[in-house]
Amino acid sequence: MTYRVGIDIGGAFTDLVAYSDDTGELVWVKVETTPQDLSLGILNSIRQSKIDFSKVSMIMHGQTLVINSIVTKEGAKVGLLTTSGHRDILYLQRANRRDIYNFRYVKPTPFVPRYLTFEVRERIAGDGSVMVPLNSEDVKKATLELLKENVESICVSFLNSYIDPTHEIKAGNVIREILKSENRNDVHLTLSHEISREWGEYERTNTAVLNAFVKPKWIKYLNKLDSEIKQLGFNGVFYLMLSNGGVSLLNFIKEYPIYTIESGPVAGVIGGIAIAEIIHERNIIVLDGGSTTTKASLVEDLVPKVSSEYYVGRSRYEAGYPLKVPVIEIAEIGNGGTSVAWIDEIGRLRVGPKAMGSYPGPACYGRGGDKPTVTDAYVVNRLINPNFLLGGTLRINRELAINAIKPIAERFNVSVEEAAEGIIKLANENAANVIRLISVQKGYDPREFTLIVHGGSGPMFAPFIAEELEINKIVIPPIPPGVFSAWGMLLTDVRHDFIATNVLLLNESELEKINSMYEELDKKIERVFRQEGFEEGLIIYHSADMRYKGQEHTVKVPIKTGRIQSEDINEIVEKFHEYHERAYNFRLPNNPIEIVNFHSTGIIKVSKPILKKEVVKGSPEEAVKEIREIFLNGKYEKVPVYDKFKLPTDKKVFGMSIIEDPTSTILILGTQEFYKDEYGNIIIKRR
Amino acid sequence: MKLDPFTLEIIKNAFVVANEEMFHAWARTAKSPVIYEVLDFAVAITDKDGNLIAEAPGVPGFSGVLDFAVKEVVQKWGKKIMPGDVIVNNIPYYSGTHLNDVTLVAPIFYKDELIGYTATKGHWTEVGGMAFGSWNPHSTEIYQEGIQLPCVRIYKNGEPNKDIIDTIIINSRLPDYTFGDMESQVASMRVATKRVLSLVDKYGLDTVLFAMKKILEESERYALLKLRELPKGEFIAEDYIDSAIAGQEEPARIKVRVRVTDNEFIADFSGSSKQVRSPINSPYPGTVAGVKEVFLAITDPHMTPNSGLFRPIKVIAPEGSIFNPTRPAPTSTYWEAMACATDLVWKALAPYVPNKLTAGHFVSIIATIVGGVNDRTGQPFAIVEPQPGGWGAGYDMDGTSGLVACGDGETYIASSEVYEKNFPILVERYMLNTEEGTGHGKYRGGFGVIREYRILNSQALVTIQVGRREYPPWGVNGGYNGPGNKVILERRGQKTEVRRLTAEILSRGDLISIRTSGGGGWGDPLDRDPKLVLEDLKNQLITTEIAENIYGVVINANTLQINWEKTKEKRNQLKKARGRF
Repeated sequence: MTYRVGIDIGGAFTDLVAYSDDTGELVWVKVETTPQDLSLGILNSIRQSKIDFSKVSMIMHGQTLVINSIVTKEGAKVGLLTTSGHRDILYLQRANRRDIYNFRYVKPTPFVPRYLTFEVRERIAGDGSVMVPLNSEDVKKATLELLKENVESICVSFLNSYIDPTHEIKAGNVIREILKSENRNDVHLTLSHEISREWGEYERTNTAVLNAFVKPKWIKYLNKLDSEIKQLGFNGVFYLMLSNGGVSLLNFIKEYPIYTIESGPVAGVIGGIAIAEIIHERNIIVLDGGSTTTKASLVEDLVPKVSSEYYVGRSRYEAGYPLKVPVIEIAEIGNGGTSVAWIDEIGRLRVGPKAMGSYPGPACYGRGGDKPTVTDAYVVNRLINPNFLLGGTLRINRELAINAIKPIAERFNVSVEEAAEGIIKLANENAANVIRLISVQKGYDPREFTLIVHGGSGPMFAPFIAEELEINKIVIPPIPPGVFSAWGMLLTDVRHDFIATNVLLLNESELEKINSMYEELDKKIERVFRQEGFEEGLIIYHSADMRYKGQEHTVKVPIKTGRIQSEDINEIVEKFHEYHERAYNFRLPNNPIEIVNFHSTGIIKVSKPILKKEVVKGSPEEAVKEIREIFLNGKYEKVPVYDKFKLPTDKKVFGMSIIEDPTSTILILGTQEFYKDEYGNIIIKRR
Repeated sequence: MKLDPFTLEIIKNAFVVANEEMFHAWARTAKSPVIYEVLDFAVAITDKDGNLIAEAPGVPGFSGVLDFAVKEVVQKWGKKIMPGDVIVNNIPYYSGTHLNDVTLVAPIFYKDELIGYTATKGHWTEVGGMAFGSWNPHSTEIYQEGIQLPCVRIYKNGEPNKDIIDTIIINSRLPDYTFGDMESQVASMRVATKRVLSLVDKYGLDTVLFAMKKILEESERYALLKLRELPKGEFIAEDYIDSAIAGQEEPARIKVRVRVTDNEFIADFSGSSKQVRSPINSPYPGTVAGVKEVFLAITDPHMTPNSGLFRPIKVIAPEGSIFNPTRPAPTSTYWEAMACATDLVWKALAPYVPNKLTAGHFVSIIATIVGGVNDRTGQPFAIVEPQPGGWGAGYDMDGTSGLVACGDGETYIASSEVYEKNFPILVERYMLNTEEGTGHGKYRGGFGVIREYRILNSQALVTIQVGRREYPPWGVNGGYNGPGNKVILERRGQKTEVRRLTAEILSRGDLISIRTSGGGGWGDPLDRDPKLVLEDLKNQLITTEIAENIYGVVINANTLQINWEKTKEKRNQLKKARGRF
């Protein structure tokens, strides 16, 4: 009997999901995250799962160490080497004022101060030619200075290294030699071109610097974790979740922690795609309704959108830190189950972005929270069963929820139930906006997508959102909401994405160069997979960021793998027109077309656990556990409450209903119908 | 009328969402990078009287400027306007900026009833005139700046008005771009119209009209609430616009008297210079938008702007002045005087609203064009960009370095690597301007930048306009002024400072060195925490001489240690010398 195990460290909880290859059984465990020493939480979860780790064939691991280290600015002291004349890259950034009316706007603080940034005489021109050869003396001097300053990590980022990295490589060798001769092998090195081959010196430098910033801590963590799980008898394969929706082996990812920046949330998208595949849907929006935020990601034809337009700490009013690493595109807004309802200065009701989180949590938890939250509103109107929540371990107090909402009701001179409904409506509206963001605003019609919903608050929001946006089908998977990301990790393939910039016209005469760009990327992918010990099963996909010559904006277009022949060009051109028109509403039929970024993806498929099928017989009536009076649409109404496990397979139920299991509540509106399929998915449709 | 307050809230939000959709629809479909990259445009939904219900400006200089154009339509067309009409207007004196910024206004009809308008305004890359790209720093009359479109129908009953469109197209050097931008602009307005009408279908006409009224009322109430938190009284500021860009021998004097009462925020620019024969004049609606920008900054920068919020604002600017020019005054680089209007009100209020305002910043956008025909490809190329500079110090913080000016917002300065790949230029240096420095103070201004382009082509043309050179960014409460902006041309090794160029020819190997100003300081430099002075020295932002002679902090350059005793001595000595006791 062997297991595969997904472990996801989140801000509050560490989740473990184990899948038995033989029985198809799923085991899940949730323990508190231990921020001081993350591996402690992992060991706790392992202990609680009672799984024999000598029987575990593979572990897939996602974590928040990398992003937390950046957000809290707790990482290494980093030194930076730049091209002479360009020392202040990290200070200048892109000079935008994101908070446009705030005259006291402050840019994000660089991760390397000016005095730890050294200029090196060297210059590669925009066409790749060497204008000034690398001055090794400058590199040497800078390195020695940095060692005197006790830096723990050194980063090199030269202008135009995305075209020709020779100077970075040479500088890297000089630095390594010094580290060796000074006996300072504890100092880590990051070269910008190793992480990104895209243009944009600020973005690439910042990416490399953040990698350098996290690296010492990261390596320490991985080494400790690795030895600890080996002590438990584990001798399987240890994979780490990447932000591109794939996994990679420990020895590769040790050098590049920055590739794992969003490893938790993207696993949820991968889980959503797996569900879509099972139920034969190809175009989906994965919605993750959490306790403080709602996230959404649009997936077209089962392929997640992976791009390198990612920022840490970006918001409507903050520029954040750009990262040129492949990340599945996910939008997020500050609206979740514990978002607080409040009245603003001119007396309007607002919901979020402030949230109570899991502690003290909503007022109804009775842990001292007295702010009215979205969850309290659901409890007041009896949409949530006060008799069980959080697996039945936490009792809910409806009186406390009523007390919290009362001031709002009094302020608007309405009943507490009406006030609660107001809060629910506004929260739903906020959640709908995150979907508008990734669909309508990008040229997609949400009505053409199926909504796959997870997270604690997701199944409560989703039916309202679907009504508002006229989405026809909602799927709520049978995986408990809290561990969906950890489950998603079990379904992840080994994957690497490499992207390189070179502006080339798409025509016959440039074909040689175009093909050689892809060949180089493919070689790199093959090399990395070989380093990881994979010999077989590699599938490579190509895509390109393309644009009309003369325009700035690009669209990502899939391109056939293998050498592009001259007869393929027309097909690529036609596809580009089509993608461009969808994204930007126009095409320029005779305009020359350029490729700007070459993107190559390598995947080795991992065999995946499938959901267990189970047919439940009987009638829906037998699954009714109670008739509850709930408050919706301005009045009390009697609604059947179904026990999710007892619901019969494939039997349709019409009209307003509530479905419960020990970990979640699903609401179905009067305009909708639902059934449970053989995998245990709840499928909701508009009528 | 009885309506549950939460549904009302959702309808109100829906206007903001509809407006944002219009914004993104245009940004997504425009053909000119100046729209979708620089976001040099704005969109709005108004009620039937032209009051802004929701607006989304891409740059802060467009805040609350669209109502002027809609009100012009209401006045000129009145009941004659029909469903499917789209009115075009770019006359600066009514619509606020320059001829490149073309405003379209379309009525929203529900059945036969006019319920409001959608309005959009954006920078078209080409509208004719004396120079490529239409705007230029040397025009002396509006007639040189492009085609004028005086509030006429570009669409009639939903059909394109070919007579007008053909006339526009033939006046453009880039007809494809001009036509493409216009089409996407019209299409984006249809998106918003559709959303508003679906709201009416869902909630009923009366409810939606009621919501529009409430939006204005509530925002006005909020503005008054915020106004009451401001200090009351009269605040005066004076300044000058450099003679070199005013195109005359004397600098242009500008003046504002700001009156803040419990109900009103009045900016009176009486006493400011007459309009000048240089295109820096700010049309009245532009001046008003400039004032609105400061108003938002000192009340609530995160408020969704609309006409209700702006109701307490009154702007007085005498006709024929630099802040309210009349025909034939040129306005194609209007942003210079407009930014000064913002800066002037800011200057008057800064000491009294320290939690919202900083000392003066580098103000001048230093709009720059470097272009020509690429020797290698035979294709034309052009860099068109604003410059970043230093912002002023706050009462409790140093100013921010290398940021775009107040007229720009979410505007990105291009990557050097992108420039060098696309254009025959070398970005030789792009760094903080520690050479000219910044405004010193208890808190110092942010640093400007040095941005240097070396020409790698046989020939390139440069257009540039440099403001805030002679009259630099101002300090507050004893903080020093910034050094002023500076641009130097280096031709065959010969350096000359330049202030205003149109299509000046440069050759291979020549260098253009843009050195923007640091911001003003706040408070006496002698009160600066010596540790911050040490930090600046350590970071090589200042020299030991500056530390000692301006800040009175004595530091050993080798050990980077503060000599506290000598510092005390030096500071006492400097205080006496500067007349501070």
